Amino acid sequence: MSRSEDELDVIRAAREARGPVLRRSPGPTAWFDIRKTGTGHWAFSLNRITSLGLVLYLYLHLAVLSMLLGGEGSWHGFLEIATTPVFLGLDVLLVFGLLFHGLNGLRVALVGTGIATERQKALFWSFMVLGSILLLGAALHIIGSD
Amino acid sequence: MDTRTFRVFRFARDDGPSRFDTFEVEAAPGDTVLDALRWIKIHHDPSLAIRHSCFHASCGTCGVRVNGREALACVTRVGDQDEGRVTVEPLANFPVIADLVVDMTSFVQRFPSPHPAARISEFPTSPEVPPGIDEYQRFEDCIECGLCLSACPVAATDDTYVGPAALAYAQRILEEPRGADVGALLDWADGDNAAWRCHAAFECTEACPSNVRPAQRIMHLRRALTGGRDGGS
Amino acid sequence: MASTASAREPGIHRSRTWRATATSGVALLVLVTVHMVAHHFVVEEVGGLRTYAQVLDYIANPVMFVIECVFLVIVTAHAMLGLRSVLFDFGLSASARRRLERGLLVLGIVTVAYGLTLIGVLASRA
Repeated sequence: MSRSEDELDVIRAAREARGPVLRRSPGPTAWFDIRKTGTGHWAFSLNRITSLGLVLYLYLHLAVLSMLLGGEGSWHGFLEIATTPVFLGLDVLLVFGLLFHGLNGLRVALVGTGIATERQKALFWSFMVLGSILLLGAALHIIGSD
Repeated sequence: MDTRTFRVFRFARDDGPSRFDTFEVEAAPGDTVLDALRWIKIHHDPSLAIRHSCFHASCGTCGVRVNGREALACVTRVGDQDEGRVTVEPLANFPVIADLVVDMTSFVQRFPSPHPAARISEFPTSPEVPPGIDEYQRFEDCIECGLCLSACPVAATDDTYVGPAALAYAQRILEEPRGADVGALLDWADGDNAAWRCHAAFECTEACPSNVRPAQRIMHLRRALTGGRDGGS
Repeated sequence: MASTASAREPGIHRSRTWRATATSGVALLVLVTVHMVAHHFVVEEVGGLRTYAQVLDYIANPVMFVIECVFLVIVTAHAMLGLRSVLFDFGLSASARRRLERGLLVLGIVTVAYGLTLIGVLASRA
């Protein structure tokens, strides 16, 4: 009963066919529609944005950590930049990304296994409140350390 | 009688690109969006293409987007909309035939085959009968209005995703198989474009006017696919 | 007729992928917390960022060494699985999906290999 490549080709061809027009072509950006106002839509979109941001950060982080191979002088040079207010602010942004992606991901993992499916909205907002508190604490610590 | 401004999506195949037409509509707060659209058709523009049937949210044919949110026009009150103009658009993620009428073919094609249009439900076994009624037959909750598919952000990205209605339907079959080929159905749900494409936005459940709770059903379907419970919700 | 759902072999590939993503994500809730606390909230330096000597001192601890290695493997796995999920939503053909999966596997292996090498070199300097 699985859909075959032929079936998928028929669907793809229908996009180009004359006749009823596609209102909006599906594509890479269609999942992010600022006109949508639903909480679930935004949770999904933000989860995706933070996921891509964190993947990018993973490789940036590895690149930065590679400076340690250059010894104390090289690392010290990085710290001089990393302790500026702009970079500390980016650290706070990182914490936001981690908290949102982690806590929303936990919601997805729980409901995906059938737990709290009827209370998923309350679960989401509870996690957001928790995340906000943690973010505030982290931000005060990071920026306050300057 | 109040006058509300309605901004309605217009498109005709041989008439160039789509546009929005604005109408000043006499509509009482208790009037529905469908009443307003029919008023426009009668008093302003008879060419406005709309689709409707039952007037009481049981046929699922009048699905539209009102101020960006999926809704059945026949039970969506004008008075419940925010102040200012009311924007009415066709459902998202469907090909548009004309104006507010979309092509439901792709919606129906997403369902696993065979796909009985309606079944008398045996679930629950002892329904609560409303007072004044001796007995009634309960059919499936899903009225196949397509609002869930319109609301789904994954379907907006890739139209090969089977979508919430088809998956919810599959989960209902698991609840009451009645001779259906459950193994084949689970194979279908386990496919590349099925149950595992959902990202738990739950917008389908928010949009559903008929208490199907498609997102919850998809999660239960996943449990069935991972060898958990047999799909009961 | 009784349901045969519970007797059916689950969709191994796809459900396993989802379970791996969810499981690694839950594990990361702990590991990221440990990592972030260790590198932003422990030392008294600005931003909690460790100096060169403090980094070497940290990674010389065998417990932290193991934790960081495990963290690297799991975060890379989760990242690759997440990228796979995002990119699969672009309506790729079956052959494109297979190529993408192979590519992400290679990228993940290279990432982990590099990261483990980096950790190992730093640990050797401690």
